[in-house]
Amino acid sequence: MAAQGIWGGTISFSLVAIPVRLVKAVEPRGLSFHLLHSKDYSRLSRRMFCPAEGTTVLPDELIKGYEILPDKYILMTDEELESVSPERSRTIEIVEFIDLKKADPVYYDHPYYLVPAKGGEKAYQLLVEVMRRTNKAGLAKFVLAEREYLVAVFSREGALALTTLHYHDEILPDDDISPKKGKTEAEEESRIKKSIEHMIEDFNPGKYADGRRKKLTDLLAAKMKERALVEAPAIEEEEGEGPADLVAALEESMRKVRESR
Amino acid sequence: MSRTFVEIAGRRLPLSNLEKDLYPSYGFTKADILEYYRGIAPFILPHLKDRALTLKRYPEGVEQEFFFEKRCPGHRPEWVKTAEILHHDDEPMTSCVANDLETLIWVENLASLELHVPLARAVSPETPDSMVFDLDPGEGADILACSRAALILRDLLSHMGLATYVKTSGNKGLHVLVPLNRRETTFEDTKTFSKIAAEIMQKHYPDLVTAKMAKQERKEKVFINWSQNDAKKTMICVYSIRAREKPFVSFPLEWSEVERFMELGDPERLHVIQSDAVKRVKEQGDLFQEVLVKEQKLPHL
Repeated sequence: MAAQGIWGGTISFSLVAIPVRLVKAVEPRGLSFHLLHSKDYSRLSRRMFCPAEGTTVLPDELIKGYEILPDKYILMTDEELESVSPERSRTIEIVEFIDLKKADPVYYDHPYYLVPAKGGEKAYQLLVEVMRRTNKAGLAKFVLAEREYLVAVFSREGALALTTLHYHDEILPDDDISPKKGKTEAEEESRIKKSIEHMIEDFNPGKYADGRRKKLTDLLAAKMKERALVEAPAIEEEEGEGPADLVAALEESMRKVRESR
Repeated sequence: MSRTFVEIAGRRLPLSNLEKDLYPSYGFTKADILEYYRGIAPFILPHLKDRALTLKRYPEGVEQEFFFEKRCPGHRPEWVKTAEILHHDDEPMTSCVANDLETLIWVENLASLELHVPLARAVSPETPDSMVFDLDPGEGADILACSRAALILRDLLSHMGLATYVKTSGNKGLHVLVPLNRRETTFEDTKTFSKIAAEIMQKHYPDLVTAKMAKQERKEKVFINWSQNDAKKTMICVYSIRAREKPFVSFPLEWSEVERFMELGDPERLHVIQSDAVKRVKEQGDLFQEVLVKEQKLPHL
């Protein structure tokens, strides 16, 4: 796995500490488009715009505001935000182990792999094996990119995987979803059971692909063959005043300097 | 260690080792340093204001070891203002900001003889408020060659519609500054402009100047160091003392003075020592006042 670590530290609980690196487990493969100006196909750039002044706002004029009422804000400086940011953590400290089967998938957010770092291979392997056999996941709190995450660490195909979890208060209630319990008819139940059994397969997600993405790449390939390309105009800096003009202007000024000396 | 206390703006400040001679071959103590900076404070403070300060400290005097301190010491009094800046692009760092006399005296009590600041303020580190040409005489060249190059540069930029200001580096060279004070001008602009201007100077006066960094290229020539126009670089602040055998100062000059000294052919007269600096600044005011406020746009960028 050549993936660059996005974090390095140790995973630990009680007296165990294993050096690891965190790497991405997924890479979304959506196709993205650039926005162009329909008149000349220039690639457009985003600017901050002040509707009151009617001008573009430069980065050093930006400040964050939290809206409490329409048009009423509480200002928050970067210093204040930093004062509540958690310290970068060097450890993923497992605080409890839970039954993997009981981990509710609704809480799962984003998956990563944990790769053993130098010197940690043996202990890592042992932990992978024990967690696999006991079917347990470790729960830990851990700071990544200034946010504190609740994560689950589990054994997966001979390696450790880590999934960030949603906090409990982010999960929406499901009270209204399940209908009131009524009488189920035995005949109906067995019919559904049978049709499910009929459709049972091994989990093999490789069989499936994003259909729209496939159609879209085919369409792009076809248009490419037709050479249906447009070209963005070369950008001339401020009406043709690039360094070439600067050189010419300096040379002209230098000529005047030398004449007068 | 001897200690005395001063009170500035209601803040009590301990001062140490006042009798220590920091310039042994000239005779200039810590107390003299503090006195110099106290006298020059009204003139230097506007130029230090809101900038991340780099301290160049000489705890044992100019003949002994020094060290640069970009980080504001952790033992600072709680009223010392600081700025969060990015060191080496991504490492956040807390720097001192000397906006008042008490902070200036505090850093000088740390024997920070030389005060270095970036060309941009801490709040907008990518926006230089001036462009600089650091004229540095190589081996065999002197401040007279430097003055000649500076005057040509002044004329060149003047034909480009840009006003320039000059100061001694306090060392061997001269600094030519072009005030900008426009939020739209970036270090990329000042670097592009100064590099092309330096190269054109070299093309037309190859025996006098070079725009190349390499040491062997600089022999008997004035190196026009344009690469100081960079968010990561700092420059000696105007009115800062230098740590040489004598306490020379980075001091602003009138262009007419540079012309006159050129005619007299007396390079030594361009160096300004601390006592003259205080005397002159009190008579003529701050010749660098305009550098902080004059708005100029670099043409063709």
